[in-house]
Amino acid sequence: MVKTSEKEFRKRDFFYLIPLWGLSLIVPDADDLYSYHSKEFKRREIYYLGAVLLLPLIWSDPHFHHLMVLAGIYAILALGLSLFLGYAGQISLGHAAFFGIGAYTTAILTTRYAFPTFLAFWASAVAAAIAASLIGRPILKLKGYFLALATLGFGEIFLVIVRESTELTGGVIGIFGIPWFSLLGFSFDTYLKQYYLTWGVLLGLFLFSKNLVRSKLGRAFLAVAASEDAARSVGINVSQIKTGVFVVSAAFAGFAGSLFACIMSTANPEAFGLGFSTLIVMMVILGGMGNLYGPIFGSILLTYLMDILGRYQEWSLPIYGVILILLLIFFPDGIGTRLGIRLIYLIGYWAKKKKRDEGKL
Amino acid sequence: MSLLIVDEIIKEYDGVRALDRVSLKVERGTIKGLIGPNGAGKSTLFHLISGMEKPDSGKIYFKGKEITSFEPHEISALGMGRTFQTVQTLENMTVVENIMAGMHLRLKGGLISSGLWLPWIRRAEKEALKEAKEILDQLGLLGRWKSPASQLPLGKQKILELGRALAMKPDLILLDEPASGLTPTEVQHLSERIYQLKNDGMTLFIVEHHMEMVMEIADEVVVLDNGKIIAEGPPYVVRRDLKVIEAYLKGKRADA
Repeated sequence: MVKTSEKEFRKRDFFYLIPLWGLSLIVPDADDLYSYHSKEFKRREIYYLGAVLLLPLIWSDPHFHHLMVLAGIYAILALGLSLFLGYAGQISLGHAAFFGIGAYTTAILTTRYAFPTFLAFWASAVAAAIAASLIGRPILKLKGYFLALATLGFGEIFLVIVRESTELTGGVIGIFGIPWFSLLGFSFDTYLKQYYLTWGVLLGLFLFSKNLVRSKLGRAFLAVAASEDAARSVGINVSQIKTGVFVVSAAFAGFAGSLFACIMSTANPEAFGLGFSTLIVMMVILGGMGNLYGPIFGSILLTYLMDILGRYQEWSLPIYGVILILLLIFFPDGIGTRLGIRLIYLIGYWAKKKKRDEGKL
Repeated sequence: MSLLIVDEIIKEYDGVRALDRVSLKVERGTIKGLIGPNGAGKSTLFHLISGMEKPDSGKIYFKGKEITSFEPHEISALGMGRTFQTVQTLENMTVVENIMAGMHLRLKGGLISSGLWLPWIRRAEKEALKEAKEILDQLGLLGRWKSPASQLPLGKQKILELGRALAMKPDLILLDEPASGLTPTEVQHLSERIYQLKNDGMTLFIVEHHMEMVMEIADEVVVLDNGKIIAEGPPYVVRRDLKVIEAYLKGKRADA
């Protein structure tokens, strides 16, 4: 979000703009929030779509495909969380639990009851949404730190339940042998196919979110984040809106969890802990809140960062921590947002300068 | 029947009576002013009417319906708009989206149909945008419809807040200290808008510390002091009331 202190252009901005110029070609502007008038599809978005479709064909490295599959799954999760965190202004440190509910629903339905994966995929989202609507009402009365703690508690309770109910979930060992995702007999059994699967689902959910945030509900989310009193004064039922957006973001997490289970072919509790919840929150914050490209960009960035740091073995976590801290210091509003703001003011500065020069002539 | 009836309201905070058996009525199509020195209980009364707090005893009726135990959003849905003492524009949205947020209840659209952007949602949004622009045009803010609401000066933000309340098409608008923090010209501008609204048939209930403005535009004024109504009537009568003068002088002395 635009802060008043960032309204004017400063000359020293040049210096860190230059190396980041390249990034700006990938990262979208921050104006998404304010541009009611330009929310239709733009040419730039067609380029993004083209890049997503063609990239794995041009760069046919299986490792790259696999990373992008993971990034896509995380992006679905981060996209849902960004509706809750970036638009409605609420915090959740328990989203890994909804991801886990999605994964376990798919795992149990496909391995025990031989459900088709496509149906299990939808059932996972529904299961996560139901769980969210059950805990949402009481939890969402809390605000700020208290909400963070309550959601964190929910995540931990979920882990305990999963570990202890060995009959159903296989306990700490988890569930193995989840079949590949398949649709009408077509099985997504290679990394490339899975890439198109996850990014296709992501695209669908992205369009859904984009429509949602430009509708009256999106305005209600933003109103709840800006001022609950003002929201109530125009007749917005704040607790209903909060529960609604919580349920939607949980359903997204359920979809992501289901895809994760199919692609990893296992589900075990270690994957769905607090560390994962905070990772998703980091993806949203680093990518930039209050716009929908941010979480996607953030999840690609962090997935790659973790992969690269994996080479440094025991040093990976300290380096990871330092990089996160540095990113948060230099890009407190998220990389997408910050870069976007800089670019807008830079362009504004140039435009004014040009006008001034013309005026002199 | 009166549009808004407040009947024998009592509100206590830790044994201190903020409001003591306050009763008043607001008639359709009029501007009612509520004035009084600091700490007289004006804001408390507004909070009770808009449902943000509940009275200890007494009843509030709006359009003939008892709303004493209603939630704030339910009261708003019945047709009561309001603005706030400290301006509460939705800073994370554009000016036009602020107005459209005010139309929330009048627009249709569920979670799924909005997400899929079905034809009727598209049509409704288009019409809402057009209508919001008309409201902005009336308020003189159309020139800045695309800019972030946080970038407007305070005076314009107050007018925007009024516009957001208007977009609800309410029967009654509560204005909580509309003139606070504004320059004299901005106050003048705001008074004109409010007067214009009254001419269009709107009912307004204004709390104001700034006495001049209320005396100028209100049809009837209620004076509150120490949680009690000490005078009620047309501005020219209230202005000469000895109790009112005393209450305000007391306030002045306490300030000094």
